[in-house]
Amino acid sequence: MSRSFLGVRFLSRIVLERLAAVTLFLILAQSVRAADTAVQVQMDTKGAGPRQVEALTEHGIIRDYRFAWTSMGQALSVNALDPIEGPFVGDAKQWLRETVLGQQRSGLSQKYLNQTHHLEVVFYAPEGDVIELHDTAEYQLQLLAAGKIIHDEHVVMHYVVLMTPGADRWVVRHLQAVPQFSAVPQF
Amino acid sequence: MRSLIAILLTLCAAPFLVPRCAAQDLRVPASILAGTDLTIPTNGSGKATFYLSGPGVSRKIDVNLGEQIPLPGADLKTAGRYLAILCASTCESASFYVTAAKAASITFLVHPSRVPVSLGDAVSGVAFPFDQFHNLVLAPLAIDFHLTAGNSSVLSRSVTTHDGVAWFRAASGKSAGTLQVVASAGDVSVRRAVQQVASDPCNLRITGKPDKSGVLAETEPIHDCTGNVVPDGTIVTFTATDKNGKDTVDAPVKQGVARAQMAASGPVTISAASGVVLGNDIRVEAHP
Repeated sequence: MSRSFLGVRFLSRIVLERLAAVTLFLILAQSVRAADTAVQVQMDTKGAGPRQVEALTEHGIIRDYRFAWTSMGQALSVNALDPIEGPFVGDAKQWLRETVLGQQRSGLSQKYLNQTHHLEVVFYAPEGDVIELHDTAEYQLQLLAAGKIIHDEHVVMHYVVLMTPGADRWVVRHLQAVPQFSAVPQF
Repeated sequence: MRSLIAILLTLCAAPFLVPRCAAQDLRVPASILAGTDLTIPTNGSGKATFYLSGPGVSRKIDVNLGEQIPLPGADLKTAGRYLAILCASTCESASFYVTAAKAASITFLVHPSRVPVSLGDAVSGVAFPFDQFHNLVLAPLAIDFHLTAGNSSVLSRSVTTHDGVAWFRAASGKSAGTLQVVASAGDVSVRRAVQQVASDPCNLRITGKPDKSGVLAETEPIHDCTGNVVPDGTIVTFTATDKNGKDTVDAPVKQGVARAQMAASGPVTISAASGVVLGNDIRVEAHP
């Protein structure tokens, strides 16, 4: 009787642990998905040239740029390098990596909340191997020191972005904030 | 009345007696060049903590208010927006931009690596100037594109960058060989090479003679329409038709000529084709 009772307790514990693990996984998965959908991205391809942007390419870039910002937000929020491994390459990955490592040392972290991005294609290479975008981004930027908010600001930012096609996605190769874009259209 | 005067005097003297710990008027320039040292002055007295947050940098520095905060250029090398935050009893912040310095390198993408001669809009190049810290130089910059094949110039054009990019598209040259493609801006230059190869064969002509096993057919040296010998490996299809039917052989070009040994007996008609080009027909009396 006692052994049977212990067995039931043991099984119940295993079931409870597994339920908890599944619940935690679902919550985390939901939060990642929620964070991803929280990043709003629109794209205007009217100014694209010399190559036209096809619909499939447009959808791919929107999807991958959104994912890149979601990943960047996660990396800078929890000071982890893993999220930037896929969507960033080259110079963009390098400075993001240095930022995360710097934040680990200084105890700072950043949050990018309520992001909206309006992308404008300003150059799409003749062979389709690089695209330049202007991103007018709007978000709530919070800077935290040891978990305490020391800066909270609603910003409208201008980014010059270079993306290149990778094996299975578009990746951000260059991400550079500028005070404003040049006013003269290229084409 | 005395007490009122004492209160007023105390209030007036207070700013001079109480240590001023609040950071005030954090002044930074609107923008600086990448890699430039920056000094940020502070007001007041007492201890404070200074934070610098920007692309590639995150610093926490203990400072004394009233002193200047030196920021080395190494912390300000990546172009973008930086936040300077000074926290004492409260936090004050200011932002500034770091902009790219002068161009120190050019990222140059050229397509394709191998191209047939005399093809319109066949070669394209895209150039992005970067400074020594790998920031995209967005200020307009003249990029000179030079395309040369052998000793002759195929293209020479100066294009001013817009939004940090300049590009060209051009026809390939008329002779097979290496096409040198150079992009330069000031003392910065980068070179790429495109292999120009002969285009499709033109005027395919064949000869044939009987041999011990049938017929030996071969082409005259095969050229494209601008006189370049077609590259080795180009396939020529020989067809021999005799009383027994058809025999077909695919033969690769070697040193400009394709050869095929074909089994046949009696009178035989031989033709050849490569790509969309048909050669002449010849009649040979085979003696197997």
